[in-house]
Amino acid sequence: MLSLLFSYLIFPGFLFLAVVGLLATWVDRKVTARLQYRVGPPWFQPFADLAKLLGKQTIVPEGGAKSVFLGAPLVGLAGAILVGTLLWSINAQPVGRTFVGDLIVVMYLLMLPSLALIIGGSASRNPLAAIGASREMKLILAYELPFIISAATVIYRARSLQFGGIVAWQLANGPFLWSLSGLCAFLAALLVVQAKLGAVPFDLAEAEQEIAAGAIIEYSGPALAAIRLTRAILYFVLPLFLTVVWLGGIDAWFPLKYLGILTLVILIKNTNPRLRIDHALRFFWGPVTLVAVAGFILAVLGK
Amino acid sequence: MPLLAYIIIVPLIAAGLGLIFRRAAGALALAAAFFALVAGCLLMGGRQAWPAFSLLAYSLNSGAYLIAALITLLTVIYSLKYLTQLKRLGEYYAYLLLALAATAGALFTNEFLFLFLFWGLMGLALYLLIGTGGERAPAAAQKTLIILGGSDLLMALGAGLVWSLTGSMEFGGTALPVNTPLTLAAFLLLLTGAFAKAGVMPLHSWIPAAAEGAPTPVMALLPAALDKLVGVYLIARISLDIFMIQPGSLASLILLALGSFTIMAGVLGALLQHDLKKLLSFHAVSQVGYMVVGIGTGLPVGLAGALFHLFNNAIYKSALFFCAGSIEHRTGTTELKKLGGLAGKMPLTFAAALIAALAISGVPPLNGFVSKWLIYQGLIEVGQFDRFWLVWLTAAMLGSAFTLASFVKLLHAAFLGQWSENTAKAREVSWPMWFPPLFLAGLCVVFGLFAYQLPLRYFILPVFIRLVVPGVWDPGLATIMLFGGLLLGLLLYLLGNVRQTVTRPAFYGGEELPEETIKVTGDDFYDTVKRLAPLGLIFRVAERKVFDLYEQLKLALDSLADLASRIEGAIWRSF
Repeated sequence: MLSLLFSYLIFPGFLFLAVVGLLATWVDRKVTARLQYRVGPPWFQPFADLAKLLGKQTIVPEGGAKSVFLGAPLVGLAGAILVGTLLWSINAQPVGRTFVGDLIVVMYLLMLPSLALIIGGSASRNPLAAIGASREMKLILAYELPFIISAATVIYRARSLQFGGIVAWQLANGPFLWSLSGLCAFLAALLVVQAKLGAVPFDLAEAEQEIAAGAIIEYSGPALAAIRLTRAILYFVLPLFLTVVWLGGIDAWFPLKYLGILTLVILIKNTNPRLRIDHALRFFWGPVTLVAVAGFILAVLGK
Repeated sequence: MPLLAYIIIVPLIAAGLGLIFRRAAGALALAAAFFALVAGCLLMGGRQAWPAFSLLAYSLNSGAYLIAALITLLTVIYSLKYLTQLKRLGEYYAYLLLALAATAGALFTNEFLFLFLFWGLMGLALYLLIGTGGERAPAAAQKTLIILGGSDLLMALGAGLVWSLTGSMEFGGTALPVNTPLTLAAFLLLLTGAFAKAGVMPLHSWIPAAAEGAPTPVMALLPAALDKLVGVYLIARISLDIFMIQPGSLASLILLALGSFTIMAGVLGALLQHDLKKLLSFHAVSQVGYMVVGIGTGLPVGLAGALFHLFNNAIYKSALFFCAGSIEHRTGTTELKKLGGLAGKMPLTFAAALIAALAISGVPPLNGFVSKWLIYQGLIEVGQFDRFWLVWLTAAMLGSAFTLASFVKLLHAAFLGQWSENTAKAREVSWPMWFPPLFLAGLCVVFGLFAYQLPLRYFILPVFIRLVVPGVWDPGLATIMLFGGLLLGLLLYLLGNVRQTVTRPAFYGGEELPEETIKVTGDDFYDTVKRLAPLGLIFRVAERKVFDLYEQLKLALDSLADLASRIEGAIWRSF
């Protein structure tokens, strides 16, 4: 019980995830700044931002559903921490065992932060937030299709939907990424991760220039800090998910694997303009799904 | 007489008394439904039998009956406040109890002949109950009667075929493999009746029609709960006890294809509805798809998921219909465009609707997630026998995302979002109306957290000799950790100054525009999806009711009649 508490609160739980995640957002901001010929923030900037937000006033929109408005960000945060703890804990388990939930469970838990954003935005009684919430929901509809197919490809090849089984298969046969089918599934999943992070080109739910931060327009103070923290934790947890499922799990090479995926995310983010929502739907249901299906067919053919 | 006899006779007696003493009809119904609930609990003890109607109770049908009795009781409680103005109140309660008694019979009987008797009585009760509704009720009741009556005839034909093949009218006495044209015909004919009652496409269209006409508690009780319980229970028994469904066989393929089609078509229909009750009724169709798919896998884990989903669906769907009724009661409308901002005005109804909506969308750790998760595993396992498993899995999992989408629309349009004229003065309903949905929502949480300890252990697992679950899901630990996360977040809030919240008007561009001019109702959330190329075509076709077998048959009959009258005219002219 005590070890569970430790693993949940300190490592690999809340504290670890928060620190690493905030550092990851710093890497993102720094690289982006350098690409735009700016200096960029110092490493502690995300921590300072968070501390400052905690000191700010909490403003609740008039006539909104207050408890839902303030509660929703916490649900997203809890979901992100749970997934992070769960994925990292695979390491501590004997080979082949799985902790708390399997691949399908994690796919559903990963929906919690997005869902929290939608419900919170919807509860803030602001038309712009409502538009942001509806965009986020449509984005979920868009990326779920290729995500399901990519996950099914892995499940098919590993003959297991438990993380323990998936990692064990990769330990025996090499990471999924080093095969054609695995590569296709990984590419589709990488774009899904990009969308789940709400990073450009899929930042339509917040789209500052169009709907003024959309779903989170009414948030301020500690509630906004919780949303920021969730986003930061996802910057660590989602690449971790890709690493476990496609890159052979957590080992000595993990920092390199993680930084590689983070670099890809930042690269995509800085080289693409924001998509319109109907284009995003068409993009995910069209080319990305085709790539994912190609991956599945290759997997059936044994490639 | 054994207990099994009483649970059929007592509601019927109460119904008769209610017709005579109309004033006391509500109280009598309450007493009878309470008796049914207690009897249902007592039945959980073990196997019981009553030879008169060849009734036999075991874990599965006792569990289904327990849920049916519970929802009937809650419906009666709800109706006490909701339906005070209805003229034919005595008849209303009598029909409710008739439905309960018929459900008991249909669930417990072990022989076709009696099954048809009770099955027909259920259809009759439904027809009569829909008829007690408003002005659109007669047309809806007629449509229901024609679809259910017609499919019952086909089912009788199927039962006859089975009898001629095996010489037995009992469940469980046969294990026919579906391999010859004759057995396939018998299988499909038998399924038709069950499909129509459960609402599998293309025999689903009576449910949305009934949603428009029938009083809302009737929708919460019959199409959402009793008809599903009995219909899907029968699909399970047909597939298990009369025929043998092997994974990868033709019968399995038919069930998987029909189920997947029902999931997607139902949920896409729901996505675009403009009316609260109609939206829910399309989900009543879509959710059956999951159960059919689960049964169609022919594997224990898929089947366990399907049966668990059956119980879960009855619970959250009834809760949602109750909430819709409460909204209608307070605002006078169920049109999504005219609602909004009810969360603060009806907090208890909102809490129930939120939990039920998340449960039906399969958000962990609620009950809907556990049953869907079991079904997905069945679909993955069936991949060893069936080449198309990815199609079924994708339909099921994507259908779940679409379900969430349509409930986000519902929650935004009705509860969150901005106020409208209708909702500005709304207030919370009284306890007989908020208690039933809230109780069911609580049950959603309990069935999710203690899935292994309660529903699976007592209702479902006794049916299986051996159940292998290939995945891992530990709801208890996951919930503890989720709560830990909530507490951490709360700590974060307290570290900040969340206690000194201030309230300010929502900010949009710094303008003080009248709220009506820039209201986002949620009604048009998914118009972008609707216009998208291949989907747009499907929606346009669906709007012409091409997928509605009833309307198509009616059209065919109309043109036939037209042709006949023309021929008649031609003959007449030739003289």
